[in-house]
Amino acid sequence: MIARWILLALLPIVAGIALTQTRRLSAIIGMGLFSLLLAAVYLLMHAPDVAITEATIGAALVTAIYVLAIRRTGRLAVVADEAPGLIAREGDSIVGLEYEILEGFARQIGLDLSVHFVPLRRVRWLVAHHEADLGAGGMVPLDSGEGALASTPMHLETGVFAFPAKRRSFNVEPIQEAPDYEGYFSELLEHDKNGTLSTAVSSLDLARVLSLGRIGASLQDLGRIDGQYGYAFLIAKQRTRLQRDYADYLTQLRASGQLADMIERHFS
Amino acid sequence: MTRDRLRIIFAVGIIAAFVGLIGITYICSSPDPADSERYLARAVEETGASNRVAGIYLNYRLLDTLLEVLVFSVAVLGVRHYLQQSEGMKLPNLSESEVVQTAVNFLAPLALLLCTFFAVFGHISPGGGFAAGVIAASGLLYVAIAHGIQAMNAQLNPVRLALMEKVILLVLLAFVLAPAVAGRIPLTELLPTGTPGKLLSGGSILVYNILIAMKVFVGAWAVIAAFAQHRGEL
Amino acid sequence: MAAIIAFVLFGIGVVALVLRRDLVIKLLALGLINAASILFLVSIGDRPGARAPIQLPGDLGIVADPLPQALVLSAIVVNFAILALALVFVMILVERYHTTDSIRIEQEMAREADDQETPCL
Repeated sequence: MIARWILLALLPIVAGIALTQTRRLSAIIGMGLFSLLLAAVYLLMHAPDVAITEATIGAALVTAIYVLAIRRTGRLAVVADEAPGLIAREGDSIVGLEYEILEGFARQIGLDLSVHFVPLRRVRWLVAHHEADLGAGGMVPLDSGEGALASTPMHLETGVFAFPAKRRSFNVEPIQEAPDYEGYFSELLEHDKNGTLSTAVSSLDLARVLSLGRIGASLQDLGRIDGQYGYAFLIAKQRTRLQRDYADYLTQLRASGQLADMIERHFS
Repeated sequence: MTRDRLRIIFAVGIIAAFVGLIGITYICSSPDPADSERYLARAVEETGASNRVAGIYLNYRLLDTLLEVLVFSVAVLGVRHYLQQSEGMKLPNLSESEVVQTAVNFLAPLALLLCTFFAVFGHISPGGGFAAGVIAASGLLYVAIAHGIQAMNAQLNPVRLALMEKVILLVLLAFVLAPAVAGRIPLTELLPTGTPGKLLSGGSILVYNILIAMKVFVGAWAVIAAFAQHRGEL
Repeated sequence: MAAIIAFVLFGIGVVALVLRRDLVIKLLALGLINAASILFLVSIGDRPGARAPIQLPGDLGIVADPLPQALVLSAIVVNFAILALALVFVMILVERYHTTDSIRIEQEMAREADDQETPCL
């Protein structure tokens, strides 16, 4: 009796915790635990057939199927925000300089490439928590060496821009990361229409600035930050082997001149 | 009104509708105990099965169960159709460590044994065909995890499994349609209704349990194999 | 008591289905809604002082109601198959739009619909 009440009270707690997880794998395992508790509840309600069926299906099969669906073995998982020219969707396919680089890299190490578009700030979180292998989409790594993220060698030079209203002067306040805004890049157009662009954006990179300018956003207050910056990919610090493989691949691209060809094709 | 607020209102509306529906049903017509009493009082003698639950869903409500198996088959068919991949994709043959393999070599036959037990003794003890099929499929899943999906496909030819699935489905459909064709057939008494508690009791519940177990096993395994071999992006 | 918990679980499932953006979590919430409905049905059949509805030889006690259990048994298995099918559709959707964010997918679909509506001159 008491056991049944305790288990019943536990059910919504476990379900609530499981469905508010950030990582998908945690949510799946939480729901597997929920199924097991539910099977115990069925047993205490004198329904053994239902208990057996629920335990095997909910805890074993459903969990197995979800884990098989989201596993990443054999895949190179890349998360990115759209950066026109570098990596962006066009109809059904993805095009861009970074996409070509990544495709070649995946082919070289024998994995499938899978690119997911996520909001910008999620890119850093996902790579830092090992949910994805690489972070792409016009990332400009700045010189903070600490933290869980490292960056690959640069593949293209760029500049970093910011609105001066947010900064006292260009060179004094350091920009933590670039680019930096909330949500997706395509939402910046909405901000521009509402006139809140300067408050929504902390920093931008050259490709995005050019693209915004092409579409007609108002960028007259934007100023360039001094310094040498370049696009690179984000990678977790512990993935030394992946970093090494990619560094080899990039030097190979540069040496054979293919990198210069690609840059010319996409940016001329 | 922001999108999120609209969504919350929608969610609350659904919950209120659900609770209200159940409440109204309860108030207007409290559950009639006559049905349940009838089943409780006479299920064991009429069906000959000790497991009253099996007696209900494989004797009184047999057609419901057989058509549910049909729905299951359609869902499995859908999964297999949409997860077809083009040939020439090299799949990695991942197999696990020695520890996992040894454990699985012990557990997988146990799972198959449990499946047989639940299917054959479904009318005497808890279990039944559905649970049996699922347990067998998960046993195969352990083997696939430990030894790799290629080894599994070498052992269990997927083409033959698909053929077996279709044959069993046709047999079950024949059971469903036979009374329409040939008049009253005592579908529930293909085997004798012996004394409850013995193996040969409960009429044809034994037959149906075994058929359903095989069908669910092949279907669930088809779904798992389709997911295991799919190399996509999610 | 179990019925109330079933309603609460249903509520959690629906709210999670509506508010979380990730498609996989939405599917898990659908599974939770299924489980809550089945819990409600099974809890109806339980009566005080009951035993499992298996007849042991020579035992004549109060037994839990077997009818909801029988109805629910095949429902669990079929729910699993349909959830697998839904997961397949989610996988196809994700492969097409390269994201698991449901709001983003809606935006992309709207954008594609807009693109298709421009007449070719």
